[in-house]
Amino acid sequence: MATRDGDAMIEVEGVEKWFGRFQALKGITTRVGRGEVVVVLGPSGSGKSTFIRCINRLERHDRGRIVVDGIELTDDIRDIEQVRSEIGMVFQSFNLFPHLTVLQNITLAPRNVRRTPKGEAEAKAIELLERVGIPEQALKYPAQPSGGQQQRVAIARALAMEPKIMLFDEPTSALDPEMIKEVLDVMAELARSGMTMIVVTHEIGFAKAAADRVLFFDEGQLVEESTPDRFFREPENERSKRFLSQILL
Amino acid sequence: MIGPPEGSPRVVLAGGDERAVAIAPAAVPLTPAESLRQNLFSSWWNGALTIGAGLLVGYLGQALLRWALVTADWDVVAANLRLFMIGRFPVAEAWRIWAATYLIAVLAGASWAASGARLRWTPSLIALRAIAAAATLAFLLFLLDGLRIWVLLVGLGAAVGLGVAIGRAGARRLVRPLLIGWAASFPVVIVLLVGFGGVPPQRWGGLVLNLLVAVVGIFASFPVGILLALGRRSALPAIQLASVGLIEFVRGAPLYIWLLFGEFVLPFMLPAGLDLPRIVRAMIVVTLFSSAYVAEIVRGGLQGVHHGQYEAGRALGLSTTRLMGLVVLPQALRNTIPALIGHFISLFKDTSLLAVIGFIDALRIARISPQGVFQGDLKQTLLFAALLFWIVAFSMSRWSQRLERRLGVGER
Amino acid sequence: MTGPPGSPRDDDPGPAGWSVGRVRAPAFWRNVRVLQVLGQVVFVLVLLWLLRGLYENLRSSVGRIGLDLSFDFLQTRAGIPIKEGISYDPNQSYLRAYLVGLVNTLRVAGVGIVLATTLGLIAGVARLSPNWLIRRTAQVYVEVFRNTPVLVQIVFWYFAVILALPVIGGGSLGGVAFLSNRGTAIPWPRGEPGAGVWALLVLAGIPLAGLAHRWRTRVNERIGEPTRPLAWAAGAFLAVAIAGFVLTGSPVRFDVPELVGRRYEGGFQLSGEFTAVLLGLVVYTAAFIAEIVRGSILAVEKGQKEAAMALGLHPAQQLRLVVLPQAMRIAIPPINSQFLNLTKNSSLAVAVGYPELGSISSTIINQAGRATQVTLLVMLTYLTISLAISVCMNLLNRSVAYRGVRR
Repeated sequence: MATRDGDAMIEVEGVEKWFGRFQALKGITTRVGRGEVVVVLGPSGSGKSTFIRCINRLERHDRGRIVVDGIELTDDIRDIEQVRSEIGMVFQSFNLFPHLTVLQNITLAPRNVRRTPKGEAEAKAIELLERVGIPEQALKYPAQPSGGQQQRVAIARALAMEPKIMLFDEPTSALDPEMIKEVLDVMAELARSGMTMIVVTHEIGFAKAAADRVLFFDEGQLVEESTPDRFFREPENERSKRFLSQILL
Repeated sequence: MIGPPEGSPRVVLAGGDERAVAIAPAAVPLTPAESLRQNLFSSWWNGALTIGAGLLVGYLGQALLRWALVTADWDVVAANLRLFMIGRFPVAEAWRIWAATYLIAVLAGASWAASGARLRWTPSLIALRAIAAAATLAFLLFLLDGLRIWVLLVGLGAAVGLGVAIGRAGARRLVRPLLIGWAASFPVVIVLLVGFGGVPPQRWGGLVLNLLVAVVGIFASFPVGILLALGRRSALPAIQLASVGLIEFVRGAPLYIWLLFGEFVLPFMLPAGLDLPRIVRAMIVVTLFSSAYVAEIVRGGLQGVHHGQYEAGRALGLSTTRLMGLVVLPQALRNTIPALIGHFISLFKDTSLLAVIGFIDALRIARISPQGVFQGDLKQTLLFAALLFWIVAFSMSRWSQRLERRLGVGER
Repeated sequence: MTGPPGSPRDDDPGPAGWSVGRVRAPAFWRNVRVLQVLGQVVFVLVLLWLLRGLYENLRSSVGRIGLDLSFDFLQTRAGIPIKEGISYDPNQSYLRAYLVGLVNTLRVAGVGIVLATTLGLIAGVARLSPNWLIRRTAQVYVEVFRNTPVLVQIVFWYFAVILALPVIGGGSLGGVAFLSNRGTAIPWPRGEPGAGVWALLVLAGIPLAGLAHRWRTRVNERIGEPTRPLAWAAGAFLAVAIAGFVLTGSPVRFDVPELVGRRYEGGFQLSGEFTAVLLGLVVYTAAFIAEIVRGSILAVEKGQKEAAMALGLHPAQQLRLVVLPQAMRIAIPPINSQFLNLTKNSSLAVAVGYPELGSISSTIINQAGRATQVTLLVMLTYLTISLAISVCMNLLNRSVAYRGVRR
């Protein structure tokens, strides 16, 4: 687990976001340090997904500042592209490309964005597949492996671009229960290896085991942030307490 | 009382378990009489329907057959066969058309075999194919005169066979080369026909003219249609409006009116001095017309691509062009292959309109060939022209159905 | 914080005391939003330049041959003989001739749509019949007529069928209807004095039928047994119509066409050209509609039919109450396309000389020359007709759409 001090990888200040008249983010301010693993919790509709999607510009924030590895996220195309190349994202619905094999899914971006030669990209891809534990799936098409395997492919695909930060948007919510563990194991290994991660999830076990910090969102606000220990045992805020009572039996 | 009913067959399980297991009798295949009963006479209403329909169909059928085989004189077709097929294409250059046909035959055979298709041989299919083969043979024997054409036809069959052999040997690995082959076949055929002292489009005619205009139309309208579809889905209002406007305007008018446009208005719109031959203008119009329909089909395909694909691509850092080209469009196009083939069939049928504008296509040949000795044989020529169109359209439609079934199985 | 945002304000100090400073807008050539707007502006400019170029070419070329791009010529004398349609004589204007064509198009399209839908429905259901003979016959019909070009069919109907019919004075059906190579003549009802009164009585029968329907439905709701509200409504309507007919002294007689010289007089006459175009369009389009009907019935989930069966409904009820209503919703958009196709295909009547919009426009172009104006007018006309049909079908679609489904 990395410490919090030192260079901040991600700085978020006063970020607000509207969808039409609905305000999804009401002034979020926080920092994520290098190598930190941050878990974002909260009821649905609280703005958790919107928050992390703003970080890699899948959504455009309306007010405030977001700075990623020293680069500020504005309408500047070049800055946007640079930020995106440093961030990898894993989605709830995997979003693997169905018309390409697993191997091709992973090598697509490196070959076309980084201009990596085919052999090198494929070697790297096999390495990553081994890291996530499924090298034998390389030549299959995405519909064939199980859900847990598909999500691990998605993680490998994101890792292929050598990101400095990994964002996870409810990575296990669409999986059958028996496959959740295999994905969480990969994520935990990633955390141990020192990757900066922001994970939106409902998996409390993962938060307790791997997170350095927990952010609790509710109705567009960052209500509480603390260590997992403190948060789960003695939440300070009323709303946090209410949320925890609803999800923990 | 427990246990199987009296008299049911007893089976001794291998493990020595003596408990009898009742097995349902195997489904007995229907005898012909029973099959007839079930399908045609299952109720009095059904029976009445069968008899009524049977009489009607029988009467019409035998009237048609009697006319076709006995009364009608088909010499007009035999005498004008070359006209029907290639119009006034110079006979000396006809080898170009044969070369192109051989090329397509090899590609087609290879594609069919490489896709893993095999002919099924059930008794009914064998019977059906035998009848069809016999009928075709008889028809050809009547129509074709001379050894040379028979040699060429047998050669054509051999070309298909060669393609099938190649396809079987290469199988999956050939998918990419074949796709490139098909895409390349278009310019190759054009060069074959026109290049090196060949025959310009103005001299094309007959069924070949219909085929070529349809193929040119489809190939040329593909990129334009994709651009229009992307434009229609663009978030930029100016581009979207322009795309929608063009698509709806083109689709709103009948093709005949557009052909009139190409004939009478387009020449005035072009810069002075640029004199495009009539047939080229017609091809431009057909391309424009086809693009609007391709655009709508591709748009449907684009809508079918999960929006998560866009997000994943963007998150990976793919630029918009790469995202579209590598991720979105391949999926969209795959979804719409049956619809695109259906559109091609329609386009091919629509080329018959060239006859009304004065081009010498298969339909026009049918209209003008009953003269002199063959006066009054219009029915035969029209039916033959209809048959030519039908064969092409029906084969493509069958192929499309097969493709749809295979794609729909969701192997990927 | 309320309301939608503007751009970040310069003097916003930012929370937590961090040195925020002002958010700088990126250089405009890299700013995503600026590029989008710029891109559109460039696009529009290029498009306008292109269109202007075409227009200029057009104008100068047209000028060179002594014509212009105005629509005034429409008022001049046409001199075009037109065989059928609303009242017209060649001394009237081109505009009048155009109108005749328009009405003829609407005539053949309107009748065509109705007939094609009917035939298509029958053929579509036949395609799914358990009776093997009916099923195969329908299949042969669909596969043959779908894969032949509609123009070839129309030409065939005209030249090979209509023109091959016996000459005038020859064939007749029961002595009251006559088929010839000039067309068909059938008996047609003609009103006598008192017909107006009868018509009013018939109209009054409609609300009466409605009342009968409502009454029988209420009874059914009360007692549960079937009370055939439709039959009662129909019966009430017929009763009023017949009673009214008798009471007003039978004011309607059938006008039977008679052979007078070399033509038929009286009755209702359909020209050979109209018949051929109609037959060609109907038989062709019905084949497509049949496939749509078949596809939409198959598309209704198998589970729906099974659920209906499990509930004890018998096959006719399953079809009527469960399958067909759902199938209809699926079928409406593609059938709309077929209606539009039929209307546009009517322009092929030029090949057989039926004077509808397409052929008359073609004649006007040949005679008056102003191809640009004429084609533009024709395209807009067809566009309007297509729009009208689509709007009607859209209304129908909306009225049968599922409530509460979020699309």
